[in-house]
Amino acid sequence: MSTGTYDDGRGGRHRGRSPVRRRTLLGGAAAAAAGFTLAGCGDSGDGDGGAAPKERKKGQKIQLSFWSWVPGIDKPVDLWNREHPDVQVKVEKVSAVDGRQYAKMHAAVKAGNPPDLAQIEFPVVPGFLLDNALLDLSALGAARYKDRFVGWQWQQSVFGRGVYAIPQASGPMGFFVRQDLFDKWSVQIPQTWDDYEEAAKAVRQQGAWIETFAPTNGNRFAGLSWQAGAKWYAAEGDTWTVHIDDEPTRKVADYWESLVRRKLVKTIPDRQNAWYKDIQTGAIPAWIGASWGDALLAGNAPGTRGKWRVAPLPQWQKGANAHANWGGSTTAVFTKASYPKDALAFALWLNSDPASIALLIKGGYGFPSAKKGYATSDLDVYRDFFGGQAYSKVFADAGAHVDTSWQWGPGVDTLYQRLGDAFTEALDDGSSFRSVLKTVQGQTVSDLRGKGLKVESGG
Amino acid sequence: MRAANRTRTRTRTTRPARPAGRPRRTRLTRTEARNARAAAGFVLPFLSLFLLCFLAPIGYAVHQSLHRTERTGPLGLGGQEREVFAGLANYTHALADDRFLTGFGRVLLFGAVQIPLMIALATVLALLLESASARGVTFFRSAFFLPYGVPGVIASILWGFLYVPGISPLVEIAGSLGVHVDFLARDTVLWSIANIVLWQFTGYNMLVLISQLKAVPDELYEAARIDGANAWHIARHIKIPLIRPALVLTTVFSIIGTLQLFAEPMVLRPLAATIDSGFTPNLHAYSEAFVSNNQHVAAAEAVLLALVACVLSFGFLRVVGQRGNGDGR
Repeated sequence: MSTGTYDDGRGGRHRGRSPVRRRTLLGGAAAAAAGFTLAGCGDSGDGDGGAAPKERKKGQKIQLSFWSWVPGIDKPVDLWNREHPDVQVKVEKVSAVDGRQYAKMHAAVKAGNPPDLAQIEFPVVPGFLLDNALLDLSALGAARYKDRFVGWQWQQSVFGRGVYAIPQASGPMGFFVRQDLFDKWSVQIPQTWDDYEEAAKAVRQQGAWIETFAPTNGNRFAGLSWQAGAKWYAAEGDTWTVHIDDEPTRKVADYWESLVRRKLVKTIPDRQNAWYKDIQTGAIPAWIGASWGDALLAGNAPGTRGKWRVAPLPQWQKGANAHANWGGSTTAVFTKASYPKDALAFALWLNSDPASIALLIKGGYGFPSAKKGYATSDLDVYRDFFGGQAYSKVFADAGAHVDTSWQWGPGVDTLYQRLGDAFTEALDDGSSFRSVLKTVQGQTVSDLRGKGLKVESGG
Repeated sequence: MRAANRTRTRTRTTRPARPAGRPRRTRLTRTEARNARAAAGFVLPFLSLFLLCFLAPIGYAVHQSLHRTERTGPLGLGGQEREVFAGLANYTHALADDRFLTGFGRVLLFGAVQIPLMIALATVLALLLESASARGVTFFRSAFFLPYGVPGVIASILWGFLYVPGISPLVEIAGSLGVHVDFLARDTVLWSIANIVLWQFTGYNMLVLISQLKAVPDELYEAARIDGANAWHIARHIKIPLIRPALVLTTVFSIIGTLQLFAEPMVLRPLAATIDSGFTPNLHAYSEAFVSNNQHVAAAEAVLLALVACVLSFGFLRVVGQRGNGDGR
């Protein structure tokens, strides 16, 4: 655990609390949903509730539908289809703009016709569980494959005794920077957030903007808070506790508010046309992004080839090594899947077979959740774009120092929307970012209560 | 329908003329029944579609709006969920939501500015194209109508490219002239959307008005000209009063369309950090349903939106109806 240097007491507290939390959660789950978990353990053929899953007869040809937006996902799927003529997987591409893929999935679940499998990011797994949309894969013996994957990423979709998705990739965060421009302007690559602020001023003097604080990007704000030591959700017993308005998050909010108010950063949405244009022209020469951003930059700013480098995230304390994750996703099987066994087999193959991983890496899907089957240098797909730097090592180091006790809760899509709305408003009317946290904290608690959950408001 | 009425009138008039002989009666009833069946046969396709596509969804929405989901199970995960009656709780929840109400205020402001502008522009274009001295009528009529053929989403994407700074040639040209414009800023984004709607629907409304103008008999113009009326007099005193029903119709459609504003802000939202999730009531209902997964609240909001649309449309009809009577027409 790497947050130690920034706040020892806090880090210690979490170290102590983490196992307790898991145990209580587990106990609660086992006691109150005995039927649910027991059914899961007993009969390996049947999932819990819902439509009766079918077992494929030998030689029977079936087709599974798979919703995803990962670039190049069709390559490994084609390979699977060639190797498994009886279990054909059909990819349907979904839009990943503003969480629209999840709107579509939730609507499909509600309408009773979800796909067999889908790409689902870590943060939204609990939200789907709320609607009983995901199949508990432990019933099919998924727990046996746990060791193939990085521990904390596997845990992201474990609730109680249930395993609800197979992890695919994570997104350790890092700092993308136009080294040529920083050199030209004699700006140092920031090591701490204080340095970052100085760099922002220096870049501003050159007429450029170091970054944009995109008010609607909840994912990144969560990542930055995660790095600072925040824990937005905790599950204890049968109760969720929400801590969006906690000290680490306030620190992050204050920091960005001061940059925004002094006009040291832009406030345009990121990863949209205007931002891409700025990235192409050097009007924005840096980006706090994640490992999957390599493909994004290389694909959208080909003219800046060779000029980018990757540095670790700036730290709150000099010499610290605290990191965070932005994105990261799983392959989940829906409760309505007709052939759950085959769906699980595909999900496992897709995310742990070396041939599949090699193809996924080529497409640019993030940092593999699988432990084996690739070398870190394999991930340097865009080495030329980053001037020959072995940049994946930076992300690998970051990934090894992510605070793994962070947990997601239900309703993250709504939370992001609330944050986006409140930040938008704060930028407009000048209200403080702290008031944003306070508002969103209250809203999230009442949103979750509105969903019939037991919720407490943490500090 | 008309056939059935005619038959009924005929039988009614013939019946007293003949003695109420039993066989005759039966034959008549049989005709009647056959006609009723035929009528039903004609009405049935419409009625079933009307039920299926119109009344059933409304009924379902009302039903949804009066219920809520109750969950059991630890942490709400893996338990059972069931629908329970919620009374008006979803409605009070929606009405207590500032963002939802602000969205209403916003579309009302939008409508108050955009609808008169659009109808006025459509009227001017229609009058110009229908005036005696117009040239290239077919070309211009098609050109003005063409944007209506572009789906709202595509139109918004196209205009999005013209609005986004860094890409938009408009922003660039303005910038080179020393004018700083931001089409997606807090105070301008609503009017940027109004511009898209204007671009899309003016031609359509113009066409409705033109078709009504075409129905005006030429004799009226001739008579007016003999009386010494010029083009302006004809437009002011003959054409506009006579296309009044079409003006009312297009205005009502525009009121409903404005309240349902959705595609444009939805498409521009990722581009503009100034459009929030409750920018319009419809967008708010969408977010409730598909982002927050609160279909019940979304249903309540949809019902409220429909009610407001009804009140405004019928209110408008009432107002213009009264004024119409006042004119002595």
